[in-house]
Amino acid sequence: MTSKTPKGHFNVLYFASAGSFTAKQMEAMPAPLPLKKLFGTLEAHYEGITENVLEHSLVTINLTYVEMPSGEDDDDQDIIIQEGDEVAIIPPVSSG
Amino acid sequence: MNSEQESHQGVDLLEDDGCYVALTHDLLDAGSIMDKVRSPAAGAIVLFAGTTRDNFAGKAVKELQYTAYNKLALRTMMDIAKAIRTKHELKGIAMIHRLGVVPIGEESILIAVSSAHRQAAWRAGEEALEECKARVEVWKREEFSGGEGVWRANRDGAVGQKVADTTDA
Repeated sequence: MTSKTPKGHFNVLYFASAGSFTAKQMEAMPAPLPLKKLFGTLEAHYEGITENVLEHSLVTINLTYVEMPSGEDDDDQDIIIQEGDEVAIIPPVSSG
Repeated sequence: MNSEQESHQGVDLLEDDGCYVALTHDLLDAGSIMDKVRSPAAGAIVLFAGTTRDNFAGKAVKELQYTAYNKLALRTMMDIAKAIRTKHELKGIAMIHRLGVVPIGEESILIAVSSAHRQAAWRAGEEALEECKARVEVWKREEFSGGEGVWRANRDGAVGQKVADTTDA
């Protein structure tokens, strides 16, 4: 049941508290998008999500953890989220 | 479900070189997980069974619900299994986590390890569980009597974010 990403979009998966906050399990967003603009984009859609969820969460792109850029100045190593990518918001885990 | 590889048989699994990791919505079976690590070269199998508790800090928990990022959780579980199998020279290691609603008192996770001697098996079993709790992309939600729910975080044992309504800061 792999859901296709719409053309020109990437998918964001919301787990646990991220899913509760957005009331969604996933959604498609326009690509490409610089990784450093991801949180701002989500905040524009879901006011308060940064403070309540994102600041405590990790992010993966295509199953690999990525470090969120801290500033706007390191353009050289800027990761760009591409069309078809699978991005996930990973809140603190609680297995067991 | 969040997962994109929800299996049709009810079990998602990876198997490789003496390591078995799985996620399932079904009841867990200790015997079958022990069988995954059974070996004539082993002198011990240690089995850990994590069961769901009926309270958090005295507050009554009605039921627990687990959700996972299946693809990533299985990959992380396999990483852990391989590292621990090598470190403790295990004959085998198997870990399975249950997803969905888990009624109070039932198993949510089983870990079985086998080794030539018991000391390594004891240590490896504990270490595998701690690594799982710290890293595997599975989330537990506790539903309290009264309709309130909380996403738990293993990291600090703290109460996670309330689920009931997002405006409640």
